[in-house]
Amino acid sequence: MNAFSKRWRREEGWTFIEATIAVVIMAIMVLGLTIVLLAFREQLDRSWAVRVMDQYGNDVVEDLTHDLRNATDVTVRNGSGNTSRIDVKYLDPIRHVDFMTSRYRADLRLNRIEKDGRTLDPTFPPRDLGRGESYEILEFTLSPYGANNPNRWEEEDSFRRSQKFLNATWDIRFKLRYNRQAINPGEKDWAVTREYFNRVYVRNKNLIVQKGITD
Amino acid sequence: MRTKRRWGEDVGSIDFIQIVVGLLIVGIASVGTFQALQFGNDQLNFQMRYRSATSIARSYIEYWQGRIHTDTPNAREMEGNLRQNVAQTLLDKGDPDDPADDVYCYVRYGKITPKEEVLLGKDKQGRTLISHILINVQVTWWEPDQNPESDPKEIKFTGAMVPAAL
Repeated sequence: MNAFSKRWRREEGWTFIEATIAVVIMAIMVLGLTIVLLAFREQLDRSWAVRVMDQYGNDVVEDLTHDLRNATDVTVRNGSGNTSRIDVKYLDPIRHVDFMTSRYRADLRLNRIEKDGRTLDPTFPPRDLGRGESYEILEFTLSPYGANNPNRWEEEDSFRRSQKFLNATWDIRFKLRYNRQAINPGEKDWAVTREYFNRVYVRNKNLIVQKGITD
Repeated sequence: MRTKRRWGEDVGSIDFIQIVVGLLIVGIASVGTFQALQFGNDQLNFQMRYRSATSIARSYIEYWQGRIHTDTPNAREMEGNLRQNVAQTLLDKGDPDDPADDVYCYVRYGKITPKEEVLLGKDKQGRTLISHILINVQVTWWEPDQNPESDPKEIKFTGAMVPAAL
């Protein structure tokens, strides 16, 4: 028996069959782990994108809600089925001597909400979006209670309410969509739509709010 | 000629059994890790629904503040509807193409009660009793993976309004 033959038949270490089976099992495990990791990374990316969208949606709605709480008058001008301009007039909350106006502008084509000429939350949409990722503003409306309302009970209820109530109760609806287009073979397009909502009773509209007099 | 090896005998390298056990340990650890990540993701979704429920509750309080201010709710309405069946309200629309994963909630309100409490100023005894109205709103819902027999998730929201300021 020559040296090579002795080495091949040595009993320390693995046999060829054992090594082959181990390699096959490891390959299957690594492949499985890779698939799971990639799927989980995809899931995390989607989750992060939705959180970013939630943050922006809630920011915009909260900002408008805050202004409406102090408002004495609201002017809404619609454009292409969506609110494009909202002017919120309110009394200077500190000195109560001057009326001020916050001007909201929604540019659905550029996916931008502006307040007094400045982009509301300039960090949205994020600049490091991946290939195929995009956000779009689907709806930004401020409508009286009952109008443009998907809730049937509330729509019916609005017919029983007084004009005074309807003039002062406003629903903010802000709808965003996140798109993730398929880039690689085997992927599928994915999108999620969320609506952010708040209702505000503009109490100052039914109060005598004048310069120097507030509730 | 191949001699029979005894179990556990050290031959200077890892054997087939050891690598299978090693892979099993890695597999089990991976499952644990992924479950932890999944749990974190579920918690984020729960927080999102919680925030949405808070928004619904707050909007409902605004509704009642407007009602009390402008209309006069009748006695039956002032009793609340905590024990009544109410229509469902959409809380979270998951996949837009799959209505099965939508989460709905129930919005109820408690008895609307006028109260008198010392809020500010003074009266004869050195106090000022300010009448105010308390509005309590309750939002309940079941999480997607929650047992429907178990207690629902719930938030309670209380709003006050002062008639004297109307």
